[in-house]
Amino acid sequence: MKKILIVDDEQDIVESLKFVLETADYTCYCAYNGEDGLRLAKELMPDLIILDVMMPKINGYKISRLLKYDKKYQNIPILMITARSQEEDRLIGEETGADEYITKPFELDTVVDKVNQYLK
Amino acid sequence: MIRILFISTRKEKIDQYISILSPKYEFITLASETNILDSINLAVPDIIILDTNSGNIDFKNLIKKIKSYTDNSVILLLTAKNFNNRDLIKNANAFLQEDFTDEMIVNTINMNLRMRESLARLSNTNKDLADSLYRLNALYSTSSQFAGTLDKKKLINFMIEGIDKALSFSLTCTLSFCTENEPVLLINSLYELSDEILNALKLRTIYQYKSLFEDKNLPYEVNINNLKTIKHIKYPANRFTFTLFQFDNLFSPITLGDNFFGCVEIFKDAPFSAEDATCFRTIAQQVALPLKSATLYQEIKETNLKLEKLERLKSEFISIVSHELRTPLTSIKNSLDILLSGRCGEVTEASEKFLTMAKRNVQRLSGIINDLLDLSKIEAGKMDFNCKNLNINQVIEYVKSALSIVAKEKGLTLLTEENKNLPEIYADSQRLEQVLTNLVSNAIKFTPEGKSIKIISELKNFDELSINPLFQNINSKQKGEYIVVSVKDEGIGIAEKDLLRAFDKFAQIENSLSRKVGGSGLGLPIAKQLIEAHHGIIWCDSELNKGSTFYFAIPVAKNNSDKNTENLLLSR
Repeated sequence: MKKILIVDDEQDIVESLKFVLETADYTCYCAYNGEDGLRLAKELMPDLIILDVMMPKINGYKISRLLKYDKKYQNIPILMITARSQEEDRLIGEETGADEYITKPFELDTVVDKVNQYLK
Repeated sequence: MIRILFISTRKEKIDQYISILSPKYEFITLASETNILDSINLAVPDIIILDTNSGNIDFKNLIKKIKSYTDNSVILLLTAKNFNNRDLIKNANAFLQEDFTDEMIVNTINMNLRMRESLARLSNTNKDLADSLYRLNALYSTSSQFAGTLDKKKLINFMIEGIDKALSFSLTCTLSFCTENEPVLLINSLYELSDEILNALKLRTIYQYKSLFEDKNLPYEVNINNLKTIKHIKYPANRFTFTLFQFDNLFSPITLGDNFFGCVEIFKDAPFSAEDATCFRTIAQQVALPLKSATLYQEIKETNLKLEKLERLKSEFISIVSHELRTPLTSIKNSLDILLSGRCGEVTEASEKFLTMAKRNVQRLSGIINDLLDLSKIEAGKMDFNCKNLNINQVIEYVKSALSIVAKEKGLTLLTEENKNLPEIYADSQRLEQVLTNLVSNAIKFTPEGKSIKIISELKNFDELSINPLFQNINSKQKGEYIVVSVKDEGIGIAEKDLLRAFDKFAQIENSLSRKVGGSGLGLPIAKQLIEAHHGIIWCDSELNKGSTFYFAIPVAKNNSDKNTENLLLSR
């Protein structure tokens, strides 16, 4: 089973994502802050990371940049999820190497579709 | 008493003139040249009579000398009948002839005296006139300086300069309450001041200031010990050796109604005239009005800054709150989606009904938050527009395809009348879709079953737009060609008194009707802002119970009209 790491400080959102992704036959690991997220990403080598931007300790942009500039991890697809929707923020997200950019509120099915796109 | 100096060597003439004039005038006779100038020096005579027949005297030279001593004396020549020494004639005021009767002599003298008096008066008047003119000029230039600035420090400086120009003081002392945060004593002096004079000035100014208010409360507290003093000395190398008592002074408060800006006192080592006083008070009064304007201007500026800050805070607040609201809303929506999808077990008909209700309201809330965010972004000038040339009919097609199902569900027909070959407009298609979606959704909401809604696109000149006068901007200089889109419904309409407020965000929220039908009520204000950002116009016509028509007009793209003119040129 493919491994997905979900990093978001909003536990409820993590829960719902975990639930739909597990029903879609993925193994999910969760982190609730940037620091844990980055550590788990390196430990678990997940097949895909779902990453929130606004988080305590290390924000999503930084995690994405750290992973994407490291040869060991740069091939892991990253889906960025954030409440921000400004064009400028989107550009920053792309610059940090995220593969997809999804704004809140999002459709769960859309996220599942995107994940499937990368992993199947 | 009138003083007459008679110079003659002829005894009979001296006797004659003494008998005629000495009773009435102080009459002095001299027979030789030697004492004449001493006598004039002692007391300037009003009239000098020179007997040209007194041989041995060089009258030409004598007159020259006399004139160098005094030009106030009237010079009369006693001459023979056919006297024609041109040099002398030129220099004398009048002539007494040998054969004049006593009466004629007296008359000639009196006439010359009167003339001299008139001349003196005239010259005085002339001097006064020149003086007044000079003052008037000083006043005029000062008041035009006053009109040219809203800086209070400059105004006070102009006042002091103006007073100096008009009255030329030795020393002026201004107690100002309006130029800095604390009371300031401004001292402008020709020469350096001793500490004694400086202290005396401070005490005196404070005393004068306090005496203006007698029993009443002082507008500002002034403390002699820490009164800030600013000195401007014109010639610092010199020093005043007088005490204040040796100066003449003028004092005036600087006030306008209840506004007290300060007071000013000037000192001079010569007496001030009544005109000086009037001029001084005029300048002190004149500065009060611009000072008041400057104060108001400053207040408006400060208020504006505060308002801008508040407005920014409000926008930031809305944007932060909206983001914060979205996150929990996303969780609610996700949970509902999971439940509704049946992933957690079977959904009964009743639970589906309530889950759908919850989801619908989450969507509604999310719509309101989006609207609020949009509005705050537009108001903060942070809305990004992705403009390109486009045909308005694309927008209409998009909205039609998105909303005709909704209209059909409500039993309404959505019709379009798209004029072909419309020129392009330069616009952000997504934003125009947002506007049109809003107008059409409103029309669907407010139109009863069985009726229809029509969207029309056409090309019109600005003058043919026939904008409802309620929405016309009198100051606008718009002209040229516009693409007009209208959304006509057969709904409940809007009463005329509410029409003007249709695009007002607060009024709409208050509108009970929109509340009943749902929606944030921010759609129209957003539409207005979006259209105006496209240099367009939005308005509506409505009749209660018959229906409303909402219009928006966007100017035809510039290069587009260039193309049109090119085409015209080619077709010729």
